[in-house]
Amino acid sequence: MFAKNQSDSLVEILDLHYSRGGRQIFDGLNMRIPRGKVTAVLGPSGTGKSTLLQLITGQLNPDHGVVLFDGKTVCPCSRRSLYAIRRQMGVLFQQGALLTNLNVYENVAFPLREHTDLPEALIRQTVIMKLHAVGLRTAWQHMPSQLSGGMARRVALARALVMDPKLMIYDEPFVGLDPISMGAIVQLIRQTNHALGVTSIVVTHDVEETRKLADLSYLISDGKVAARGTPEELQRAKSELVRQFMLGRADGPVPFHRPGPDYAQQLLTMARS
Amino acid sequence: MNETVRDCWKSFGEFVSTFGGFQLFSFQIVPYLPKVVRRPWLIIEQLYEIGALSLVLIMFGGLFVGMVLALQSYNTLAEFGSADSVGAFASEALVRELGPVVAALLFAGRAGSAVASEVGLMRATEQIAALELMAVDPLERIIVPRFLAGAISVPLLAAIFSAMGILGAYFVGTFLFGIDEGAFWSQISTRVDLYPDVASGLLKSVIFGISASLMAVYEGYHASPNAAGVSRAATRTVVITSVWILLLDFVLTGLMLTEV
Repeated sequence: MFAKNQSDSLVEILDLHYSRGGRQIFDGLNMRIPRGKVTAVLGPSGTGKSTLLQLITGQLNPDHGVVLFDGKTVCPCSRRSLYAIRRQMGVLFQQGALLTNLNVYENVAFPLREHTDLPEALIRQTVIMKLHAVGLRTAWQHMPSQLSGGMARRVALARALVMDPKLMIYDEPFVGLDPISMGAIVQLIRQTNHALGVTSIVVTHDVEETRKLADLSYLISDGKVAARGTPEELQRAKSELVRQFMLGRADGPVPFHRPGPDYAQQLLTMARS
Repeated sequence: MNETVRDCWKSFGEFVSTFGGFQLFSFQIVPYLPKVVRRPWLIIEQLYEIGALSLVLIMFGGLFVGMVLALQSYNTLAEFGSADSVGAFASEALVRELGPVVAALLFAGRAGSAVASEVGLMRATEQIAALELMAVDPLERIIVPRFLAGAISVPLLAAIFSAMGILGAYFVGTFLFGIDEGAFWSQISTRVDLYPDVASGLLKSVIFGISASLMAVYEGYHASPNAAGVSRAATRTVVITSVWILLLDFVLTGLMLTEV
């Protein structure tokens, strides 16, 4: 299926350690993101899902371990090589992160103008094609301030796809969307994956949408992979932590109360002081 | 007492860290200058935003400062029988001192704070991160064009400020106090020289322009990515730039007078 020297995984994370502010966020994390599949990265809030994306894209440097993209180490040591890797990635931010001083058309055309010498006619065709793919061809003249949250995210998706990346990364793509916009984004992620063969990583805590979308899911907790499998396999998992997350229970291995001193003792201490 | 010492030490530490960061940032953007110069439309776009949109403020500022200078100086000069020198006095004050300084202060208040907030907001809304992830260097695409546009704008704005000031002094001098028009302009042409007057004013405004623009982009680029951080960046830009310009003005004036 792939060339002999090509690994089945587009992204490999090997023995990743990362700490920030004295807190260990990843402690020997290992993950493989298969080519051409949609992989969901799940986990409770604060487990470092967004930090993981920053490590994959080279915005952060691991303390130990390595992140490989298409067999090459993602390392922020050389800007040139890092940018060469990033040109093969597309990232969809939570709020879209559109450039507010450019209209929809110019936002989508932006990467093409920065990285290619394509003639204007070709840029126009490509941009309109990408906007059509996300259903917003007719909004090309709008400014980002005139778009709803869902529309902004779709425009951002068109911009992320305009350079035909090998890898698409979606950072919490469903947050704050109404059911229709959410459905549109799910459909677009799926279509992008099927039609263009793009490898996708979806960072989310939305279990329901993950079931519709992902070929493979990773559940991260305590700096390590707590579970790995298809969404159905995770649903059937015996682990208490996985069950708590998948069923949305408030208390369990991830406690409702933040660990700390005894409640009564704290009340007494505060009353005395 | 201990707390006061601790606060002072903390403030000193913050000052040293900001100053060091500012120096490093200045060196960091130097390699981008030739690259951005090769993309002049990026600078032209910002020249409009930063320079052209500050014109009304600068022109009004210059006009009224010139008028006030003429009003204030007339009585004293008339006492010594030199009422005709109102124009020359106002021109020297404007070209050497007030033009560069007040234009730079107004620039910091209008354009500097706007640049700092804009860049800070770009960071807060992840636009800077998005650029980085699109393999577009924000220093090249966002920071340096704004810095260059500011550095180019301030000397031009200072020249316009001085010109409007002289015009203001002319209106007050000739229409209000009845100074002869010919005497007004001939005094200016006799007393104001290209060197040292215009040259020293120009040199000052170039240095002020570089400082004010650099401070604005530095504060914006390093703003905390939240509402408070953006507002703090805008405030710091105005406050630090104003103090820095006044301090620089004193040093530059001292050096220039020594030279003359």
